[in-house]
Amino acid sequence: MEQDKTYRHRVLVIEDEDNIAVALDYVLMREGYDHDRIASGGEALSRIRSSHPDLVLLDVMLPDVSGYEICQDVRLDPTLSDVKILMMTARGSAIERRKGLALGADGFISKPFELSELRQEVRRLLQGDS
Amino acid sequence: MGTSAHQGRSRGGLSLRLRLLALCGLCWLGVAGAIGLGLWSGYRHLATPEAMGSFVQAGIIAGFVSLGAMVWLWFTLDARVARPLVSLPGALRARAHGNVPGALSLPEAVALGDVVPAANDLIETLGETRRALTDAVARETERLTDGNTRLEALLADVPVGVLMCNADHLLAFYNAQAVDLMGAGITTPGLDRHLFDYLRAGPIRHAYARLVATGDEDAASTLLCTTLDGGRVLSARMRLHDTGQAKGPGYVLTLTDVTRDLVTHVRREAFVAEVFDRIRRPVATLSTLLQAQDAGAPGQAAGTKVIGLDRVMAEEMSRLVAALADLSSRHEAEGKEGWHLQLARASDLSEGLRARMEAEGLTVTATVQDLYLRCNGFEVIALLAGLAGEMAVAGLAHQFDVQMEEDGAGAMIRLVWQGPPLSVGNLMKWLEKPLEVGFADVTRRSVLAIHGTEVWPEKTAQGLQALCLPILHARRVVRRPPEISRAVVYDFDLLSKDRADKVQDRPLSDLTYVVFDTETTGLLPAKGDEIVQIAAVRIVNGRRIEGEVFDTLVNPRRPIPAASTAVHGITDAMVQDAPMIEDVAARFHKFTEGAVLVAHNAPFDMTFLRRIEGTIGRRFDHPILDTVLLSAVVYGQHEVHSLDALTHRLGIAIPEEARHTALGDTVATSEAFLKLLPMLKGQGLTTFGEVVAAVRRHGRLIKDLNQTEG
Repeated sequence: MEQDKTYRHRVLVIEDEDNIAVALDYVLMREGYDHDRIASGGEALSRIRSSHPDLVLLDVMLPDVSGYEICQDVRLDPTLSDVKILMMTARGSAIERRKGLALGADGFISKPFELSELRQEVRRLLQGDS
Repeated sequence: MGTSAHQGRSRGGLSLRLRLLALCGLCWLGVAGAIGLGLWSGYRHLATPEAMGSFVQAGIIAGFVSLGAMVWLWFTLDARVARPLVSLPGALRARAHGNVPGALSLPEAVALGDVVPAANDLIETLGETRRALTDAVARETERLTDGNTRLEALLADVPVGVLMCNADHLLAFYNAQAVDLMGAGITTPGLDRHLFDYLRAGPIRHAYARLVATGDEDAASTLLCTTLDGGRVLSARMRLHDTGQAKGPGYVLTLTDVTRDLVTHVRREAFVAEVFDRIRRPVATLSTLLQAQDAGAPGQAAGTKVIGLDRVMAEEMSRLVAALADLSSRHEAEGKEGWHLQLARASDLSEGLRARMEAEGLTVTATVQDLYLRCNGFEVIALLAGLAGEMAVAGLAHQFDVQMEEDGAGAMIRLVWQGPPLSVGNLMKWLEKPLEVGFADVTRRSVLAIHGTEVWPEKTAQGLQALCLPILHARRVVRRPPEISRAVVYDFDLLSKDRADKVQDRPLSDLTYVVFDTETTGLLPAKGDEIVQIAAVRIVNGRRIEGEVFDTLVNPRRPIPAASTAVHGITDAMVQDAPMIEDVAARFHKFTEGAVLVAHNAPFDMTFLRRIEGTIGRRFDHPILDTVLLSAVVYGQHEVHSLDALTHRLGIAIPEEARHTALGDTVATSEAFLKLLPMLKGQGLTTFGEVVAAVRRHGRLIKDLNQTEG
């Protein structure tokens, strides 16, 4: 792609817990991504459609709509096929990872995670994109 | 025939008296003739015609007197001999067949001399024998009745349903619990009623055929069966029971209500999950914040003190994160181990599921591999049937294919349909509903928690829709191959004095034993075969300690040949994440410390363990006993000493699903060992040293036997 060096990948964080959102915010800012955050799952799909981010950092346990459901909806919309999804969950069993990947997620990390692990995963997904 | 003979003898009795009368009559005729002849001859000799009157008079007098004497003789004989003789058989027969008590009383039979007393002796002996027989029968009957009553009382108290059927599946015995479990509230099962009037035939016929096919009269199998209306799923254990019927053996079914402990278990699982969940969130936030802060904001120069505090906090936090990761992975592993879950046969699960789904008006086909799935069959069936029912109501599908196939170390259950996809949102809603009507505490989701699994919709490669439910642990059903005679030359170094020294004079009953078994990639350790599974149990004070079990898969660092997988059911995928032999051997060494090692065909297993001694820095120099050799001491060399043959001789049943698993064979070996111990003692072998000496005496012969076999 002919992106110049000033192109900033756009990342959408969907996370209901404010405190961890603050932490993620901080990390993404330091990594130099153009990022945004919403706290509810209900508006997630319309927001993804309108802003078409490069990567969605998606929490599984949202109060209204589950992350799995958002993931499935995004994957059922062919116009969003280039949107990468990195799922985050506080229950990181191998089976949940499989479920996430089966429903169309591109990556899966469990909380609590090492920051380096998150950075690496985000970079991996965005590099595959460019 | 008996009757006609009897009549014949009676006629003979009557004719005895008539014949006596005729005899006396003939006798008198002879006497009268003799008198007449004598008088006639005297009259002719005298030749005096006027003496005729005197001769006739004398003849008449002599005739009458002799007639009188003859009549008296006849009467006496008839009364004293003939009549008693005629009545004797009747009286005897009355005692023989009619059970008339008492001695013969025939006062008129004095003339018969000792006949009546002799007959009375006979009668008395007969009576005594009869009384003894009656007593014995009464005692035996009482004992049987006692046993029966005791058995009935016992079975009335056990918390499981027990029933017995013959080869035609007719009920021969059942307890009250079985009646309850079979849901026979409407119709009480009677004896000689058909089992399939209450339970669905499929799984039972299936298990029965499988057990009969093993040809082992002690074989047992677990299965799942449903009541005929599909309303209840029962976990059952079937054991064959020979009733002497020509058609085949009967069987005993033990039925358990599999929902019994469910509620408690579900609550505990939910609690543990909540503990993890509530701790994880703040830890996740704090650790991310700390790490972000640690990385430092741009341009911020941190003071030394702050850095010191940060470091301490970061350390504590990483410790907390590590602890959480460790605890939750252990919790997950425990779920994976599935100790609380039984092995259910895939074909039984699909049959049960089909019954439930068909009862809800769905069309079901099944494509199922021959596997054992570690799961609670009742819950899995109720969960999938419930979800299929919801899909039907939502109009997604009415026709499903149930698929179960091997998937890594576990299995994947799929409900496949053609039509629109199932949305995760709907699925989540349905998962919050109760598993069964009236089971408010047990939601469908809790079933997932118990099995440590998830359920999700997926599109198959053929463009069909599928609902996927992975089961974490499964193993292939192993068709028992013919016993493989392991090519082994007996290694009597295993019985070396060094090893035995510590325990030489100790009585066998005082020692602690670890009985173990390994499964391997093949039979040739020298050609690169490796251990894939080790299991062991401990025996202390002559009893197997239930809690002390060593059972682990081992990563052999090489592929497992299909031929070996066919024997033990262990696949490459199952051992992929298993620990390496160095780690397992070290733990196994610890488990066996201070114990005598016992194995069936010990040299084979020991070869593998000895190879690793150098690497782990510990020696397996335990005293060793081999159940092959002990069997030879007890039964002689000419018997077959395979584990199957030995356990069969000792009446030990190995459940079908446990055969050729390391733990199953270990438990069987330990049971055999425990039964061999008193038999050795019976031969006067009480100390370890005496047993080893006896084994050595048999040693050469066994070695030869193995060589000819090999």
